[in-house]
Amino acid sequence: MNTAALTGGTPKISIRDMTLVHVNEERRQSNVAVENLTLDIMENEFLCVVGPSGCGKSTLLSAIAGFMQPQTGTVTMNGERITKPGADRGVVFQEYALLPWKTVLDNVALGLKFRGVPRADREAKAMEYIAMARLTEAAKKYPHELSGGMRQRAAVARTLANTPEIMMMDEPFAAVDAQTRLSLQEELLRVWNDNPITVLFITHSVEEAVFLADRVAVLTPGPGKLREIVEIDIPRNARHWDTITSDPEFIALRDRVMALVRDQNG
Amino acid sequence: MTDSVAIHLRPRTLWISRAQRRGTAGILAVLLLWQISVWIIDLPPYFYPAPRDVLAAFGELIRNGILIEYLADSSWRYAVSVGTGLSLGIIFGLLIGLSGFWSRLLGSIIRFFYAIVEVAWIPLLVIWIGYGFPTILIAISYVVFFPVLYNTLTGVQTIQPVLINAVRTLGASRFQVLTSVILPAALPNIMTGLRVGAGFAFRGLIFAEMIAAGSGLGFLIFDGASTRQTDRVVVGMIMMGLLWLLMDRLLLRPIERATIERWGLVRAQGGES
Repeated sequence: MNTAALTGGTPKISIRDMTLVHVNEERRQSNVAVENLTLDIMENEFLCVVGPSGCGKSTLLSAIAGFMQPQTGTVTMNGERITKPGADRGVVFQEYALLPWKTVLDNVALGLKFRGVPRADREAKAMEYIAMARLTEAAKKYPHELSGGMRQRAAVARTLANTPEIMMMDEPFAAVDAQTRLSLQEELLRVWNDNPITVLFITHSVEEAVFLADRVAVLTPGPGKLREIVEIDIPRNARHWDTITSDPEFIALRDRVMALVRDQNG
Repeated sequence: MTDSVAIHLRPRTLWISRAQRRGTAGILAVLLLWQISVWIIDLPPYFYPAPRDVLAAFGELIRNGILIEYLADSSWRYAVSVGTGLSLGIIFGLLIGLSGFWSRLLGSIIRFFYAIVEVAWIPLLVIWIGYGFPTILIAISYVVFFPVLYNTLTGVQTIQPVLINAVRTLGASRFQVLTSVILPAALPNIMTGLRVGAGFAFRGLIFAEMIAAGSGLGFLIFDGASTRQTDRVVVGMIMMGLLWLLMDRLLLRPIERATIERWGLVRAQGGES
């Protein structure tokens, strides 16, 4: 179980008193998305961030990815300040963000290509991750030929094939149908168990967060502040949708997180 | 080349597609009308040539090598000029699309020059740099430059930012962002610009050759008219049409098919664009 490793672990990402402001230069408006947030993401933990729409969840991810800089406070990885995007911080986007003119194989091999890995080597490695995502049959297909679920599995394979230190996922399963979503969540945990990596998972679904996470961070709505962190100590081998929904521990944790999310709305 | 041929052809052409049959029928109908109008109008061939006269002029121009030479000159001038305009259009489209500085610096100037058609430049260019290839090169690339630039700009501005963010998190350098996302994403628009520009440039080429060249299809037409060899003028006109059809079939369409359609960005369309 991963939570056991957390107590003695070192933070992979450290966020200290971070305030994130969206500035719209054309309208000369600014909007505080996240305010005075302090949060650690531990090595190899699966951290979910939940909160209602507009609580700055995605903005938080943008700051760690390096798409934007904090107004005040700091965000560091392994003690070093994050200033720009980099291959050490992979992101899986809700809209897949696969390049439509490249095959699944070429998409998954993209990060390795940027690093100058020779074609044969990068394709061999990409095929491993494609197999892990159960997409071997679709390796030569283009994204538009795939279902939403397959596209997102390809996007996860692309991120993992690049062996980042943290994989960040921005509501990755929000655009797929409910049935596919459940199997993608289980698939993700299977892959994550085989490839331990630090995961930051952004979602507005409390059930999804409790099902996936070692810890769930609840944010308050705009500007986003940390409300509470809830430890999810459900054993990893119990994380299956066909049984977990009747697990009293799951129900209790889900209700508790739900109450935290709802409380601040009312 | 007359109606009797048309009637004769029909039963034998069942193996070609319906669309091709219709296209052939259209061409034959035009030839037929032309021939009939020659009979009705009944003017000397130097004033209104019949299809037969044009065919004879065509044969003569082939035999003495003039047509081949002119076609080669026109094609070469066209290819180099369109290539130049295309490259410059893409470069400036990217600069303006990606950088606020360049956009502010060049935006208005380029819009201003866009309004000045190339035809207005040619007399001035002739005064400055004389007759010949440099004038044609500038005039034609000028024509290609603007549609390519504006379409590239549109392409760059409509790229989903998430694609750029995605490759940056995969470790792409600025140059790799350009080559892996921005150029391929803008390529369908660049192709549209090229298509529009290539059409304008073709008209521009003929005009420029009339004024500033001593060879080429434009010169053939101009020279034919000034020496009352109207059959040659018509040969030049037909060659223009054929050259464009050939270029469309052999160059523009294959490029489009190889890129845009395969990516599923646009659906394959049956008709002409």
